[in-house]
Amino acid sequence: MNINIPIAIARDEWRYWARSKLALFSCLIAGLLIVASLVSTVARIESERVTREGFQEQARETFESQPARHPHRMVHYGHYVFRVPAPLSLIDPGVDAHTGTVMFLEGHRQNSAVFSPRYASAQAGPYAELSPAFAYQVLLPLLLIVLGFAAIPREREARTDYLLYAAAVTPTQVWLGKSLALAGAACAGLAPLVIGLVIALSAGESLLIAAYMLAGYALYLFAWVFLVTAVSAWCTRASTALALLLACWTLLCVITPPVAATAAQTLAPMGGKIATDLAVVRALRDTGDGHNANDPAFAKLRAQLLEQYGVDDVADLPVNFRGMVAQWSEAKQTEIMNVFADEKMASEAAQSEVVRWLSLLSPALAFENFSKITAGTDLSQHHAFLRDAERVRFDFVQKLNNIHAEKLPFADDMQRGSSPEAERRTRMSAANWRMLEEVTTQPQTALVRISASLPQLLIALLWCVVTACIGFLRMNRRLQDAV
Amino acid sequence: MSETVLVAEELCVDRGDRRVLENVSFSVGRGDVFALLGGNGAGKSTALLTFLGFIHPSYGEAYVNGLSVKDRIREVREQTAYLPEATSLYTHLSARENLQYFLSLTGVTRSAQEIDQGLDDVSLAADVRDRRLSTYSKGMRQKVAIALAILRRTPVLLLDEPTSGLDPVAIDEFNSILGGLSQGGTTVFMVTHDVYGACQVAQRIGLLQHGRMVGLFEAGDGGQISAEAVHKTFAEQQSR
Repeated sequence: MNINIPIAIARDEWRYWARSKLALFSCLIAGLLIVASLVSTVARIESERVTREGFQEQARETFESQPARHPHRMVHYGHYVFRVPAPLSLIDPGVDAHTGTVMFLEGHRQNSAVFSPRYASAQAGPYAELSPAFAYQVLLPLLLIVLGFAAIPREREARTDYLLYAAAVTPTQVWLGKSLALAGAACAGLAPLVIGLVIALSAGESLLIAAYMLAGYALYLFAWVFLVTAVSAWCTRASTALALLLACWTLLCVITPPVAATAAQTLAPMGGKIATDLAVVRALRDTGDGHNANDPAFAKLRAQLLEQYGVDDVADLPVNFRGMVAQWSEAKQTEIMNVFADEKMASEAAQSEVVRWLSLLSPALAFENFSKITAGTDLSQHHAFLRDAERVRFDFVQKLNNIHAEKLPFADDMQRGSSPEAERRTRMSAANWRMLEEVTTQPQTALVRISASLPQLLIALLWCVVTACIGFLRMNRRLQDAV
Repeated sequence: MSETVLVAEELCVDRGDRRVLENVSFSVGRGDVFALLGGNGAGKSTALLTFLGFIHPSYGEAYVNGLSVKDRIREVREQTAYLPEATSLYTHLSARENLQYFLSLTGVTRSAQEIDQGLDDVSLAADVRDRRLSTYSKGMRQKVAIALAILRRTPVLLLDEPTSGLDPVAIDEFNSILGGLSQGGTTVFMVTHDVYGACQVAQRIGLLQHGRMVGLFEAGDGGQISAEAVHKTFAEQQSR
């Protein structure tokens, strides 16, 4: 095939757009929206990163600068951890917008993450959620529809197709030329994304994942290019093509995602938060009250320690029995809370899996998943943050319990309610509070994210191939019935 | 007759259950102008489009330069320039841009001077050549389409109502151009309603009525076909 002809057709299509007020206006609006989404998201994410890192440092300093206290008071004083946005959040904030980004860590409890950006920006209206990912996944396909719906029927309506075919141009060359023109528009639309990726690279993102994300977005837009040209090739009238394409866009970009989410909730149901919290409380009740060393739940521990140290009374133990109880109780409770947390995360992951399977129905849905996974802002990343936060919580609580058990005399601990002198001695030095681990949740490695997102990319590729085949075959048929 | 370039061999074309061409046969020699006349719906354009492969005969075959339209459509189209009935050029382009674009699609390179010469030949005013076709009258667009057909310099011209929309002066100029092309060896097959215009330029005229060839007129040596004779036959057929 002579490739010069499709290129000439593509160039003319660009010239047509350049002289069409509708096309120019649409490109201007789409361009402004994309650039605005990038600028606003970069500014927002950078501000959140600085804020969260600042608050994280402040929270650490506040914890470490606490005066001398009983270590168990520090267990309940607690500590805050903040999730720092991933570098590619500026392209796709992903689940960050819905899930919390701050967690309060304390003894005996696994608190939920709070302060999601969506909640925080509720008063700012929907614009607050306009991310580059949304602009590319939902708005840019709309621009491709506006530019391309009439690409082929316009020739037929103006009867220029006669002249093209009579000039030995094949319908396949016409289809390819129109697709090339539209693909060129899609590539031009990716320019702001490249800028966003460069910013993400400077924030520490890997070049491999940035290139992969760019290729993925290009592929997604090409799927739309071929869908638009396939429908355009199928319809003899431009108005029919526009109506059909708008219906496809509404179905694939607007209706399918919430329908998939609802289907996921139905197919992989989760227990409600209240029911789950009550079940956790019931299960924890059986482990005993860690604040009461005389709770029968700790009789076995008491017996073990007495035997281990060869003494008859807990007062004779070389360790603080109350501290040991607190340590043992925290471990038991954490074990139980982790079971519930794992179940919840498994349920959420199961729902995500359902949505991923339903992605076969919509390239937009598939690509939404691809984008989040690649950006490191998907559910698994949020789960990693929760696990990391729990590791930090358990670590600092047990370290405090260990200080309680190892450094604080049992007798003073028992008398601190009645003796101010004993109470003073139970206050541990502030130097002990320098124990906090960092929450260092980072996006998974490039290769892990690529392998996790590959199936979603393949779905977009499948759409690309299928729609390209439909357009190609339809145009080949048009050769037979060109009149 | 000189070497045969266009051949219609017992062409039958059906549309649904209606036969629009019935056993139509004719041939056109190199450098000849063959005009097909007939009333509305007689099948003139159908016969012409059969040579471009846009319409497939249910029986019979069409040949261009010995090439079967059915089997060698790409080569056939490379050898023919087509002027459609409804002028179909891009209204977002100027006359010059239209010519450059369509010529580039056919792989033909013409210089700016040659394009201007083509537009001079069809008498398109120089000051409108860079204006978009959306501002042109029907006649002006027709001139651009004719210029395109001429500039392709193909051995065969297929013209569907070429003088439609042209003023009398432009028609005379067009007929003069056609005469020149014919003398240069270009074979022309045109369908038209214009009996008098056809008689001025055509060496042979076919008369089509309800899809059948009902008359074939041939000019004598150096002479013209009698418009009265054609008109009389046409009127007789119409009244039947």
